[in-house]
Amino acid sequence: MHKHRHKHREGRTAPYKRVALIGNPNVGKSVIFGLLTGRYVTVSNYPGTTVEVSYGNISLDGGRYLIVDTPGVNSLMPMSEDERITRDILLRERPSVALQVGDAKNLKRTLLLTLQLSEMGLPVILDLNMEDEARDRGITIDKRALQEILGVEVVGTVAPERKGLKELRASVSKGDYRLSSVTPGYSPLMEDYIEKVSSFLPEANISRRALAVMLLSGDRSLGAWLKQNLDEQAVEAIESLREEFSLRSSHPFGMAVSETRLRLASEIAEKVIKRGPAEGGRLLSFMGRVSMHPVYGLPVLALVLFALYEFVGVFGAGTLVGLLEETIFGEYLNPVFTKAVEVLVPLKIVREMLVGPYGLITMALTYAIGIILPITTTFFIAFAVLEDSGYLPRLAVMLNKVFNLMGLSGKAVLPMVLGLGCGTMAVMTTRILETRRERLIATFLLALAVPCAAQLGVIMGMLGALSPNALFIWLSCILLVLLIAGFLAGLLVPGERAEFFLEVPPIRRPALENIAVKTFSRTVWYLKEAVPLFMLGTFVLFVLDKVALLGVIERFASPVVVGVLGLPEKATEAFLIGFLRRDYGAAGLFAMSEGGLLTPLQSVVSLVTMTLFIPCLAHFLMTVKEMGLRTTLIAASIILPTAIAFGGALNWALRAFGVSV
Amino acid sequence: MEKERPCRTYTASETEKGIFEDEALEAIWELAESGDVRLDDAVREVGSEEGILRMREDGLIAIKDGLITLTETGRPRARDITRRHLLAERLFADVLDIKDYEDDACRLEHAISPAVDEAICTFLGHPPTCPHGRPIPKGECCKLYTKKVRPLVQGLPDMDVGGCARVVFIKSPAMDRLASIGLLPGVVVKLQQKKPSIVLSIDETTIAIDEDIARGIYVKSEIC
Repeated sequence: MHKHRHKHREGRTAPYKRVALIGNPNVGKSVIFGLLTGRYVTVSNYPGTTVEVSYGNISLDGGRYLIVDTPGVNSLMPMSEDERITRDILLRERPSVALQVGDAKNLKRTLLLTLQLSEMGLPVILDLNMEDEARDRGITIDKRALQEILGVEVVGTVAPERKGLKELRASVSKGDYRLSSVTPGYSPLMEDYIEKVSSFLPEANISRRALAVMLLSGDRSLGAWLKQNLDEQAVEAIESLREEFSLRSSHPFGMAVSETRLRLASEIAEKVIKRGPAEGGRLLSFMGRVSMHPVYGLPVLALVLFALYEFVGVFGAGTLVGLLEETIFGEYLNPVFTKAVEVLVPLKIVREMLVGPYGLITMALTYAIGIILPITTTFFIAFAVLEDSGYLPRLAVMLNKVFNLMGLSGKAVLPMVLGLGCGTMAVMTTRILETRRERLIATFLLALAVPCAAQLGVIMGMLGALSPNALFIWLSCILLVLLIAGFLAGLLVPGERAEFFLEVPPIRRPALENIAVKTFSRTVWYLKEAVPLFMLGTFVLFVLDKVALLGVIERFASPVVVGVLGLPEKATEAFLIGFLRRDYGAAGLFAMSEGGLLTPLQSVVSLVTMTLFIPCLAHFLMTVKEMGLRTTLIAASIILPTAIAFGGALNWALRAFGVSV
Repeated sequence: MEKERPCRTYTASETEKGIFEDEALEAIWELAESGDVRLDDAVREVGSEEGILRMREDGLIAIKDGLITLTETGRPRARDITRRHLLAERLFADVLDIKDYEDDACRLEHAISPAVDEAICTFLGHPPTCPHGRPIPKGECCKLYTKKVRPLVQGLPDMDVGGCARVVFIKSPAMDRLASIGLLPGVVVKLQQKKPSIVLSIDETTIAIDEDIARGIYVKSEIC
């Protein structure tokens, strides 16, 4: 879940040509980007994996190119934040060519976008990707005929097998970028208004005609651009022309535009598609249907959860942690380091900083690499399999009704499940949601009640060791809070619930290579992000301990930690470093529980509270970036008391009813 | 495509007489629904005794002992005009979602030809009653469907799972989003499942949508 970003802004005198990868969601733009640039960006099998722009410089046959990977779009009239990002790339950075990646089995939809690009006046190279899947379904496309009709270069590829890549590179480096000769023409009345609106528009990176069509179709996302580039009178004039049109025509402008484009796209598709009998892929499509079936979908979901628990909870948090933490660190590394430090470092204070009870090696590294690394790695592997198989959108189909209760649409399943990997990335993925209201609720719930992989693994390992009952109590508490908080947020945040609209990709066999690369890059990202913070957190504890402030803070927090939550004073430390990273906080509790400092009941209460606790620093900062400081602070001021109040209530209830954990 | 023809113009007296007769016949039909039709009730409804008496001369009604009965010529005409009025009400209320439709229904009933009336009736699925609950007189088209038959045009959630249908029109706030993936009138869709969410496919694209969106997609069944 990392992104290498090399931002290149307008204004640089660039000797390179910009090549923008544009296409419908989930057609493989990021795979093509990776193959062209050698730079890995996350690739998955669900629409909306890419929510930000990635850039990569390459040289081809002596020419220099800047390849731009963009979020997928169905239409260049944006309906959500990620789609707007792509349209704005075209509007603000002038690409030399749009390298349109299309799904070969979905030619009509591909052409809908090609027509929009040609209307915008952008030269196009059309890459029909996933030719293998098209062939499985008995679809072949006469690329030469298509090339002749469109008047632009058409290439066919099967990206994961690197088929057709040479031709694709050649078409980019040839530099013969052509504008498609096919553009849709509209009714005389519409053309009249397009012309009238165009006359108010300035010269821009995309054609005035395309801008006029967008404006007349009621594209509100252009508002800021209009204000920047036009005077107020012109903006008003355009608005009144739009209104005038809607009075004169009973058929909405946008609808008529879509219909015209679809007619044209269908005509072209008819001419170049040959259909034969399907050749394969039946088993996969059967699995695709079963996994979202109203009845059979439930056992499939149960099976997925069980496999996840076995792999991450039992194998990762049990076997691997045992091996790494207890054996490798406990028996070999830590004694060796301790010895070495004692011999090599003369100063007592430095020795304690490295290998003491709050030692950078004995605490920070042991936690990070001994406990959390195996857990996150196994989770990332399992998660990559889920992502690449195409199961996640099907999960969204299964859970849509439940999410409706929380004021969300099923589409929000994607960021929420991603949040089980890492909340920071998940906050960014909320861009695929259509309304700000939905993004707000989703980010709030992510911060409140969705534990990330590292934390989840620690929790599973700790509670799994206690009893199934403990795990059950924890899970029920979190789901309860999620539902109640979501329900309240749905009531309190103004606005309508966004409708559920999600494209469901075909089930695909996950490619081992992509799983390996993705897991590796996410693990590296995790180490880079987590280890320094672990070090920092440990160092802070060490300093606080040395200046005897830790005891003061623990006594200060005692009424809450001991009084309300019924935990030992030392648990304050875990919550303290939980501010930096929640997984680190959880790992602290894990160590306490292992050391017999927490009773089973205290373990459950502390873990529930820690899960609900305010998110880690990185997650917090990302939320500020996406939703603004004010919103984030309001959210945090709700979350902190909620976590403590709920933890306290749980502590009281468990004791009052004598629940055995 | 064929050019639109200019509308035929009627002479004032021709239309006025026709409309008056239609309205009166309709009023008599409605009164007959709840029993005998007394002449003075009919006069009160229609507002012109002279007009009613002229209708007797034209052979549309018979009057005996202060009670009105419809004649061989009057009966089918009264039936048809009532049928058109009530169908128009259904069309406005159900499909076009117009609340205040009474006046428009009254105007439309005079404008519909029998062929169009059957088309509307079929489109609406041969509804048995009007929005107020009055029975709609059956037309030829309804008699063909003695059993309760599916309406020709239905909301997408009413389709059978596994069935195919052609989109007739879309009336949904998600219209633009549907259009962007090529779901527009004229396109054939296949319904894969209805629960827990509606899943349908268009060519090689599969999408999942809310029932709310699906309700706004009106389709006509086709053979897959």
